[in-house]
Amino acid sequence: MTADPAAATFAELVDTSALVVTCGPGGVGKTTTAAAIGLLGARAGRRVVVVTIDPARRLADALGIPAETADDPHRVRGLGRMKGTLDVLMLDAERTFDRLILDKAGKQAEGILNNPIYRSIAGSLSGAQEYMAIERLHQLHEAGEHDLIVVDTPPSRHAVDILTAPDRLASFFGHPVYRTLVGPSRAMARVTSTATAGFAWAVKRLAGPQIVEDTLDFFSSISGMEDGLRKRAAAVSKLLRNQDTSFVLVTSPRAEAIDEALHLNEALQDGGYPMRAAVANLVHPLPPACTIDPALVRAGSALDDQLRHHGELTALAVAERAELATLVDVIESTKHDDVVFCQVELLAQDVHALDTLAQIADALSAPAA
Amino acid sequence: MTPTTDSVPDDSWIQASRVVVTAGKGGVGSSTLAAVTALAAAQQGAKVLLASVDGKPNLGRLFDGSPLTSRQRDLYSDPSGGQVRGQSISPEQAFGDYLDLRGVGGLMRRVVKAASLDVVAASTPGLEHLLVLGKIKELERADDADLIVVDAPPAGHVTPFLASATTALEAVAPGPLRTQAEEVHAMLSDPQRTQVAIVTLPEETPVNEAIELHADVCALGLSVAPLVVNGCWPEQPGLHQPVTAAAREAGVTLTSRQRTALVASSRFGAARLDLQAHQLDRLDAALPLARILLPRLPTPRLTWSDLEVLASALRGAPQSSSQHQPDGTTT
Repeated sequence: MTADPAAATFAELVDTSALVVTCGPGGVGKTTTAAAIGLLGARAGRRVVVVTIDPARRLADALGIPAETADDPHRVRGLGRMKGTLDVLMLDAERTFDRLILDKAGKQAEGILNNPIYRSIAGSLSGAQEYMAIERLHQLHEAGEHDLIVVDTPPSRHAVDILTAPDRLASFFGHPVYRTLVGPSRAMARVTSTATAGFAWAVKRLAGPQIVEDTLDFFSSISGMEDGLRKRAAAVSKLLRNQDTSFVLVTSPRAEAIDEALHLNEALQDGGYPMRAAVANLVHPLPPACTIDPALVRAGSALDDQLRHHGELTALAVAERAELATLVDVIESTKHDDVVFCQVELLAQDVHALDTLAQIADALSAPAA
Repeated sequence: MTPTTDSVPDDSWIQASRVVVTAGKGGVGSSTLAAVTALAAAQQGAKVLLASVDGKPNLGRLFDGSPLTSRQRDLYSDPSGGQVRGQSISPEQAFGDYLDLRGVGGLMRRVVKAASLDVVAASTPGLEHLLVLGKIKELERADDADLIVVDAPPAGHVTPFLASATTALEAVAPGPLRTQAEEVHAMLSDPQRTQVAIVTLPEETPVNEAIELHADVCALGLSVAPLVVNGCWPEQPGLHQPVTAAAREAGVTLTSRQRTALVASSRFGAARLDLQAHQLDRLDAALPLARILLPRLPTPRLTWSDLEVLASALRGAPQSSSQHQPDGTTT
C-alpha cells in the first residue's frame, strides 16, 4: 500500500491512542500486528498491555510466552531497549464472564455461576466471546494501570461480530421472551405468556424438561443483573467510539481477506468507529525486474529454476499490490480523516521469535516508501 | 486411510464416504479445498452437493461468480456426467426445516420462531451447529447427491461444530433433540459416511493448528481423509545455487542488475522452500496421514482455471509449476 506522505504515521497513532483495536479476517497476522503495535508503544515510553484471545494462543506463539500464562497481565522482556513497558494478557472468555457476574450479581452470583445454563452460555452464546474481549478491555481501562491498551479481536465467524457483540448481548437480555421469563411472577408468566409458553415448549421438546427448569432458574437469577449489563454494554460501546480509540484493519493481500476487509471497513464507517489504519500483512516482496531471453537458458538448469521463480514471485507480488490498491482506494473514498496505510512484507522466516516481531514493528513505523 | 506418510494417495478417497467435511483454521484454504474437492469428485462422475454452512460467499463465486444461497443451484456440469450443485445452510434455516420435519406449524411455529434461535440456542449447548449438521444428515439421507462436501466453520469454530453431537449427547435428556444428536453422531462417526479433510499451509502456526485439529477430530472418533497441504511452492532445487554459479553453468552472462534481481528472488524462494520442507517434516512426524500437496499459484485471487489446476493436483495428476504462466493463464 502506498501512503500519502502527509498522512499520519503509526508513531503518531500509538502516541495519541489510549485504545487500539486490531480487527480483520482470520489467519492474516492480526495477533502479531497487535503485539508489534504494543511494542511500538512500549518503545515510545507508554505502559502497554496487549489483550489477545485464549484458544489459539497465537500471541503466546509470537512472543514465546509459556502456555500456562493465565488471563492476568504478563510482562514481556527481551525485546531490547524500551522506555515504557509491555504486558500481554490471554483472554479467558469464561473467566471474564465469571468476573462480570461476580461484579454485578451480588449475592445471586454463586447460584448463577453454578447453573448449567450459565456455563453453556458463557462458553457458547453467540457473541459472548467477542463481548468478553471488549468487557476485559473495559476492566483494564477502569483499572488504569496501563495508558495504551491494544486489543486483538477474536477470530470471529465474521469480523464484524466484535462490533455488534455489546448490542447483541444487550438485546439478548432485553428480548421479550427473556423479559417474560424474568417477570414478577414466574408461575403466572409460564401460563399467561404465549411467548414463554412457546419458548418453554420448544426447549422442552428439543432438549427435555430439566433444561427448561435450569433455563427458567438462570433467567430468573440473572434478572437483577440485566440493568447493569446493559449499562456496561452501553459504556463499552461509547468507549469504542472515543476520539482516542483507533481501529486498525489488518488484512492479507489474498482475495478472500480483502473482500472481508472491505466489508469490515464499511461496518466500521457505518458504525461511527474511528478507523485509523490499515495494515496489509504477508505481502510477497517484489523483486527488482529481470528480463532474460528464455531461449538462452536451458530448461531444467539452475538458472531456469531461478528465472521461473523470479517470474512467479513477480507476478504474485504485482497482483497482490493491485488487490491492495483497490482496498486503499475504497478506504480513502469512504473516509474523511487520515488513515495510515502500511504494508508488511512476508518475511523469509515465520514470525515466532522476538527479533522477527521487532522487525514487524520496524516495518510498521518505517516511513512510507 | 492407510497410515502411510509422504505418499500421494490415489483419488479414490474422495468418494470413500458420503460426506466430506473440509476443516482448517482461518486463512489456510478450507473453502478452496471444499470447492476443489467438489470439482474433483464431479470430474470422477459424481453428483456432488457443495454446502457452505457459514455464509462464505467465495465458495460459489469460484464457480459462477455468485455467492451460494439457501436455494440449491447448478454450479458445474462435467462431460463425465458428474455435476456440482451448491447451497448454503444457516442455523435459522435449519431450525425452520427442523420444525417442518417435526410437523410444527401455525401459531406455535410463529411463537417458536419469534423466540429467536439465539434465545433457544442459549439454553442448549451446540444447538446451532447440531441443527446444521442435522440438515446435512437429512440431505445425505435424501440420497440426491453421491457426495456432500461441507465447508466447516472457520477459526475456533471447527471443533465445536464437529463436537456438537457429542456435546449434546452429554447434556441433553432423551427427546427429539437427543435423537437428532444420536443420528448426527452416527453419521459423523461412520467412516463410510463421513470423513474430515484437514487442510493446512506449510507454515509454523498453521501446522501447529492442524496437529491440534487432528487430535480433536480423532478424539471425537471421526475418520480423517488425507491431509491437504495448501499453498506449496513447487520444488525448485536450482534456487539453492548461487546465482553467479548458475549463470556460469548455463553459459549466460548477467548484468549486475539482472544478478541483483535474481539474488533477491532466489534468496527469498530458497528460504521459503527450506521453511516449507521443515514444516512438511514436522507434519510427517506428527500425523500418520497420507498427504496431498496443492501448489501455490502465483495469484491472490483464484479463478476458475486455477480451480481446475488445483482439482487435478488433488486427484494426483502430476503438477509442474510451468503449467501456470506468470501472466496468470494456464497452458
